[in-house]
Amino acid sequence: MILEHAELKRILPHRHPILQIDRVVEFEPHRRIVATKAISGCEPCYADLADDADHRFPTSLLVESMGQAGGVLWLHSAALSGEPPAGTLILGSARDVTLTGAAYPGDVLRHVVELDSVKGENAFMTGETWVGERRIATVGSMLAVMRADDALTPAG
Amino acid sequence: MRNYAAPLSAVDKLETADDGTVTAIKDIVAADPYLAGHYPHFTIYPGVFSIETVYQAAREALTRDGATAELAGIVSVHFKAPLLPGDRLTAELTFRPSPEDPSIVRVKAKCTRADGETSGRITLAMRVTS
Repeated sequence: MILEHAELKRILPHRHPILQIDRVVEFEPHRRIVATKAISGCEPCYADLADDADHRFPTSLLVESMGQAGGVLWLHSAALSGEPPAGTLILGSARDVTLTGAAYPGDVLRHVVELDSVKGENAFMTGETWVGERRIATVGSMLAVMRADDALTPAG
Repeated sequence: MRNYAAPLSAVDKLETADDGTVTAIKDIVAADPYLAGHYPHFTIYPGVFSIETVYQAAREALTRDGATAELAGIVSVHFKAPLLPGDRLTAELTFRPSPEDPSIVRVKAKCTRADGETSGRITLAMRVTS
């Protein structure tokens, strides 16, 4: 199953410019997803950058991108089973994120995320990010959470 | 002009205490880059941007004496409470060398909202080269 960008907008609440995946190229419901993201020098993270600056794609956005791939795996699998969880998708926690390489404008990230278990409104996943034949990041564990909208109240 | 790619300026103010503890402050502003899409119906400071705040603060603190510092890994992150526009994130960073690898500095950060509630706990591994 391939999911195009417009279809991802029906699954994820994220929108431009923080929707950080472009296409899903493999999808095994409840098990595994492979999603891609093309990195462009036009992205906001490359604004206000000195010419000789370090142009590696920020790790924070890489983790967000992998997390969104995991979000699609969980939410779309649940929707296909007729049990979509309610709430707002957030990253609850992550452990053992190891960086073994970097990505630059022109590269295409390929995230491979596996769903380990779902307990209620919590999904536990592991993942890897590849650029071509290079694995650039590994996430030992990642927890995505659907938080009830009324739990997202401002401070004070 | 920044000398490294970053999604936003994630630190407004940085202070270093005598004991080496670094405090970073970031006001949550809906007009910041990327936040328009996170989410359109209401804005939340993404968890990964709290990682960015701690990373930028750690990088600034560790490179003051001319050293270079880069992120080697994220040991753990745990997010407990949301940060919404109008709130203020205060991250308190402590630094200690990794027992396994002398080139790695472990950065442990407690992130707090304006109301005193802990918004998250973040531990990063930074590789420092002098």
